Amino acid sequence: MSEQAVSERVQVPQWLLQPELGMCPCGCVGKRKKGSYLRKTLNGGAGLLRQVMFSDDTARQDGLLQRIDPRVKFLAVIVLLVAAGLARNIPTLVAVYAVTLALAAASRLPVGFFVKRVWLFVPIFTGIMVLPATLSVVTHGDVVLTLWHWHGRAEGFTSQGLTSAGLIVSRVAVSISLVVLLTLTTPWVRLLAALRSVGVPRIFILIIGMAYRYIFLLLNTVTDMYQARTSRTIGAARHDGGARAFLGASGGALFGKANQLSEEVHQAMTARGYRGDAKTLQSFRLTGRDIAAALCCAALAAAILIGDRLLGS
Amino acid sequence: MHIPDGYLSPQTCAVGYAIAVPAWAVAVRRVQRVVRNRHVPTLAVLAAVSFLVMMFNIPIPDGTTAHAIGATIVAILLGPWAAVLAVSVALGFQALLFGDGGVLAFGFNCANMAVLAPFVGYGVYKLVAGRSELTAPRRALAAAVGGYAGINAAAFAAAIEFGVQPDLFHNSAGAPLYAPYHLDQTIPAMMLAHLTIAGIAEAILTGGVVAYLQRANVPLLRVNHAGVTASGGASSGDTPAGTRRVRPLHVALGAVAVMAVLTPLGLLAPGGAFGEDAPEDLDLHKYGLSAVPSGLNKYNGFWHHALFDGYDFTSDAHPTIGYIVSAVVGIAIVGAAIFLITAAVRWAAARRGASHETVPGEARS
Repeated sequence: MSEQAVSERVQVPQWLLQPELGMCPCGCVGKRKKGSYLRKTLNGGAGLLRQVMFSDDTARQDGLLQRIDPRVKFLAVIVLLVAAGLARNIPTLVAVYAVTLALAAASRLPVGFFVKRVWLFVPIFTGIMVLPATLSVVTHGDVVLTLWHWHGRAEGFTSQGLTSAGLIVSRVAVSISLVVLLTLTTPWVRLLAALRSVGVPRIFILIIGMAYRYIFLLLNTVTDMYQARTSRTIGAARHDGGARAFLGASGGALFGKANQLSEEVHQAMTARGYRGDAKTLQSFRLTGRDIAAALCCAALAAAILIGDRLLGS
Repeated sequence: MHIPDGYLSPQTCAVGYAIAVPAWAVAVRRVQRVVRNRHVPTLAVLAAVSFLVMMFNIPIPDGTTAHAIGATIVAILLGPWAAVLAVSVALGFQALLFGDGGVLAFGFNCANMAVLAPFVGYGVYKLVAGRSELTAPRRALAAAVGGYAGINAAAFAAAIEFGVQPDLFHNSAGAPLYAPYHLDQTIPAMMLAHLTIAGIAEAILTGGVVAYLQRANVPLLRVNHAGVTASGGASSGDTPAGTRRVRPLHVALGAVAVMAVLTPLGLLAPGGAFGEDAPEDLDLHKYGLSAVPSGLNKYNGFWHHALFDGYDFTSDAHPTIGYIVSAVVGIAIVGAAIFLITAAVRWAAARRGASHETVPGEARS
């Protein structure tokens, strides 16, 4: 599914979905410049907002996983991550990946986006990382495809190396898919409440919840600082001492502003009666559907482990 | 350096949580005691800043950019325990919201970047800064060096975590189940990138922020430097954060802890060290010799009263037990030696201080 279709389905403004304004993303139109540190930081901020808004939209849809209690979902993801971590055969992991795709479709997530989110990351980072490990230089074993000879010994891809690379790539893909499934189908506030009820101390939840709010405020501050700098810069940004001095200054200014902000927030909280503990409004209730979901997850985890054992090691 | 899920085995991840959870518990208690009920907004805003710092792209001389962790700068401004919490929360966001770093690997990601990096960075900063004044250029330099050391310590720990995987976890055919590279490949790969690009990024950010605050916002710097005055030296107040005295017992215990943590690395090292072979193992042909040199032969057996000959006792009857007992006894002896040396150094320093009567901080004792 294309980016266009994604944006029609959910209510994210089009300009937020464009990676670079007024320029073809592939770089075929116009002069492609090497991205400066300013541009990268600004784009990073826009990308962040875009991802968060997108997951807010998908979490509000009426799908299978959206209806399940966040606590059950969180624990299920942990259990399945461990089960996938313990699996020792590629077919097992491929089967689990198929299950995550089915769940994404059942939860009305755009499957194209879901696949892209995982497979854009995995080949770039994991794929390149494990590539040398397929060679006999790194992973010794039975050479299946000879590339060159060294002192009369055949060197090339080994079956052990290829198995290992396949295992890692599929395991990383399954793990990322599971976490993405959780975050795309659970509103952030509910996810935090779930963390609280599975035993994460309250102070952490308070800090995480408030930090989440202030990320966007401070992100705005950073974007403003960079935008002001960009608008005053003639020509291309240079990677020189001046740029690094500007960076140190904006970092320092950010810390100063944040410190002042935390003072103000604390005074506001105290004025409203904050004494160091927090109360939540909503409480979760487990329904039959949640128990069924938990049982399904346990069955899936057991199937992964038993199936993997049957396939041998 | 954000380790995704799938690179480390679930068993390894459990070890990561075993390190991170006690650190979080101590950090919460320490921070609550210091900042009272203000801790929630302060830490929340700091966590947000720490998250954003990881987005700052830093220009590096060759035209590329890199991003830093920012653990050391938070540790310098508000203390290492506050940094533990702030960076952990920032890493939590990245793991849960953006899939950057795994959920099972979160324990080790925090142990590396939120525990090891701020403590190493802060320690090096204090060591280099010494008793220089708050606005001295030496402090900005110390911050840069601290940031560089902190991120490299974290990278080194991550390299070890990756590197032990193939030896510990592989299937019956010998194919590694998780990260496939050995220590001799992971350590150069990680350290090359961090000693050059990422380390410089962290150094520029940490040093740059401290240099800016020295010019523009000294009160913010003073938050965590209660004992240091802007005019230099330790103040006469009773909060000598910068002049804590060295206790021999603490130094000895620290050294013992470091050695105990590093001990298992010895079991993984292949082969022996160069020049440590017994004479009968010498490859005479390789060096063009016809016999073991007479001097070597004569003095080789000169001392044969070692307690644990060959890291073992009772002539190889229980090799594993022998190795472990040797390790425990060795660590204890080295710890005791460090204790004695530190005590001697302190005694000498105290004598010199008494004769000059100028050592600040000594008056308190």
